[in-house]
Amino acid sequence: MKVLKITPAELDALMQQWQKQYVVFVPASGKSAAVSPDCAPGWKRMEAGSAPLFLPVGPTPASVKAFYFPQPETLLTYTLDNNHPDKALMRESLKPEAMQVVVGVRPCDAGSVALNNLPYSEDPHFQANRRRTALVGFTCDTMLSTCFCRQMGGSPMAQEGLDLALSRTEDSFLVTVVNEKGASLLAGLDLTVAGEAELSALAVRRQEMAASDSAQLATLKAAELGRLYDAPQWQALGDSCINCGACTFICPTCYCFDIQDEVVWGQGRRIRYWDSCMFPLYSLHTSGHNPRGKKVQRTRNRFLHKLKYFPDRFGPFSCVGCGRCVQDCPVNIDIREVMNDLTNDLTNLTALE
Amino acid sequence: MTDQNDNWEPKIIAFLCNWCSYAGADLAGVSRFQYPPNIRIVRVPCSGRVSENMIMSTLKSGADGILVSGCHPGDCHYISGNYFARRRFALLSNLLDFVGIEPGRVNFSWVSASEGEQFASVVQSVTEKVRALGPASRLVKKLDAAQAA
Amino acid sequence: MTTVNEKIGEEIRVQARKMLAEGAVVAVIGYGVGSLPMTARPMVARRPEDCDKLIWSSFCVLNLANYLPEVLKSVEPPHGPRDPKPPEDSLPRVAVLATGCWSRNIVVQIQEHQVARTRVVVMGVGSRGMVSRRKVESLFPGKEILRVEEGDHDLVIHGADFTETINRWSVVRDNCQTCTHPDPVLVDVRIGDPVSERKNPKPFKQVEEIERLSVDDRWAWFTTEFSTCIRCYACRNACPLCYCPTCFVDDDKPQWVGKSLDTVDTGLFHLLRAYHCAGRCTDCGTCETVCPMGINMRMLTKKLNKDVLNLYGLEAGMQPDAPLPLTTYTLDDPQKFIVTEAPSAKEGE
Ligand code: SF4
Ligand code: SF4
Ligand code: SF4
Repeated sequence: MKVLKITPAELDALMQQWQKQYVVFVPASGKSAAVSPDCAPGWKRMEAGSAPLFLPVGPTPASVKAFYFPQPETLLTYTLDNNHPDKALMRESLKPEAMQVVVGVRPCDAGSVALNNLPYSEDPHFQANRRRTALVGFTCDTMLSTCFCRQMGGSPMAQEGLDLALSRTEDSFLVTVVNEKGASLLAGLDLTVAGEAELSALAVRRQEMAASDSAQLATLKAAELGRLYDAPQWQALGDSCINCGACTFICPTCYCFDIQDEVVWGQGRRIRYWDSCMFPLYSLHTSGHNPRGKKVQRTRNRFLHKLKYFPDRFGPFSCVGCGRCVQDCPVNIDIREVMNDLTNDLTNLTALE
Repeated sequence: MTDQNDNWEPKIIAFLCNWCSYAGADLAGVSRFQYPPNIRIVRVPCSGRVSENMIMSTLKSGADGILVSGCHPGDCHYISGNYFARRRFALLSNLLDFVGIEPGRVNFSWVSASEGEQFASVVQSVTEKVRALGPASRLVKKLDAAQAA
Repeated sequence: MTTVNEKIGEEIRVQARKMLAEGAVVAVIGYGVGSLPMTARPMVARRPEDCDKLIWSSFCVLNLANYLPEVLKSVEPPHGPRDPKPPEDSLPRVAVLATGCWSRNIVVQIQEHQVARTRVVVMGVGSRGMVSRRKVESLFPGKEILRVEEGDHDLVIHGADFTETINRWSVVRDNCQTCTHPDPVLVDVRIGDPVSERKNPKPFKQVEEIERLSVDDRWAWFTTEFSTCIRCYACRNACPLCYCPTCFVDDDKPQWVGKSLDTVDTGLFHLLRAYHCAGRCTDCGTCETVCPMGINMRMLTKKLNKDVLNLYGLEAGMQPDAPLPLTTYTLDDPQKFIVTEAPSAKEGE
């Protein structure tokens, strides 16, 4: 992979350039004035001459999920106008073609796109969004105490899923051009190639910060997590949980949705919008029966989905260790503790046999 | 759609209670009191039936103005429906004002079955107020071009 | 030296353990330690030995009344929906910690028949004000707080490369600073000492600031404030008033509120949610505290609280024997908002 050098000033100029060509998004600090249909809370559309990039330590306030799986996404449109020849004909909603560039993405979020891509591999909307989105990421110099990407098989220095990966050096950035899309973002730019010394320093940092060889994951994966379906800790979690959707909605790897139609003055659209397995309505049957009618069942589902059902079906765990849910859960439910408890229980179970 | 143009006429949704205000509107009609043709009447059993959900989704659907009218306090067919309504509407209209919905968009009145003339003048005044405010845009749901067919 | 909160914590553990051991209650709703600085985790102790985990701190920000109806239901012996309900006094009892506002919420729950008075043991704690984690974090932009030590009047904040002492009261939540009833109004077991009233709380200061704006500025405030809502419903679910089996936002026939993030949909959600709390909200601040996006939706309920007090002289949970403000009326309730434009207009008000 080609690695180039860019100074902060050059980066600013480059972003101004992008802003003219593409739709560029950057992390928002504070409240963004209004959410345009194509913008997500926590991100803002970059404007000409705007201030340099603001990048908090740790994950960005909002994950990149909303660019691939917008809240809401229009799937179909139709008219109910009696005089219209196409009355009630559903039309697939057209995606804007323009490339959107998201700048300031962290490695954990970049990894989440690949995970969500597993269930959505045949979803035309997700795929269209994937084609038109480029991720310009920054590897992390510092980890927050709630960051646990390394335990989940990621790394603060990871580049997977990004198109351009920037890593800070003393006075500038090293830009790794991860793929063609990344290269196209730099087209026509004359940047110096990184020297030997810089390259090896980068390699050392990546080595130091590589995914930890997690015994915990191995235990969770190897053993039958299903045996802990009735473990007592679910009760305690269910007791604390208020079944809101905060964790699911801020999570980059939660991807469930619901669908509704909206009709305004005879013009209709069918949207899909985020749903959460924490809501009772999520699993409510038309008959009135709810297979996950109890709070504890719903809380358990979120964790078992991430740690068992998803890996059973697709391989990897459905968590990148960004720690957002750990920080923002209103009742301080901590997925790291959940995983620790489950691992201990499994170890004990195996020891007993 | 209510677009701002020279021909714009306010659309006002009126929730009228069956026993007083609706009858008042009827009387206004048979007595040939003139009032602006801008109101669309929804007949409800009692002003106490009109919930905040109904008022808000009427706004959402693009009504330029809303009028809720029931029997005078003391005259409710169900004895106390309008007394409950009065408390609810007082709080709701203050809340709407608090978040910047223009005063005059959402209106409440008492009109009895014998007050045809009163009904005409309430409609007159509400229409005037709404006309002065122009087409509603706050809390009006729109699907923009990209979202609509 | 033990702090006031540590002493309260010790008392909670003793009392809770005693009640569980004696069988006076089958569960105690309280707080356990959180896994991050400035957090505490709501928990339910069901066995005497669970009580060791109970704590009390300045970070018990979620209103525990929220859990009460559900926990009460969960300890009832199983009975089908059509079976006759066993008499209340034969059912197991539950203890819950309650500060001023939480206890007022319990009163409202009793008034609304969500909770049977005979089945609840209220462990009343005077609230010295809970600290806003967000306020503390905003004092240290770009820095991570790794540990916080709590004194009676100070907080010592530790980061990777700094230690700083800040005044506790300066970072207490807005709703606690302006609280007019910090001491519980319903107490079965008193924990700690009663707390004194706040000096000059100016309860409606923030609301009045917004009221003074022009109509257009208020609209601008409203749309900006709620623009980042992601519709996660944490504010709704954390509130002890929200117990409807199907919330109006989840209705789809009719669809009162759209599901998207556009200003109209989120605006309507918040207006209606707040309105449904009218006359019932105790300004406990939980909704505002739990929002992952930092939205101050409490301003809406606060505005309603102000009007309910001014128009009807009522405060939620303070008049246990009176009906709730919107379930009653008087013959001469104020009606300034009524249009009376007619020549034949009757006497207005
Ligand atoms: S489960 Fe929590 S830590 Fe894992 S990806 Fe989702 S928000 Fe991040
Ligand atoms: S609306 Fe907010 S402040 Fe009021 S009782 Fe509910 S959670 Fe507490
Ligand atoms: S908690 Fe915040 S983000 Fe979630 S629904 Fe409420 S206001 Fe919106």
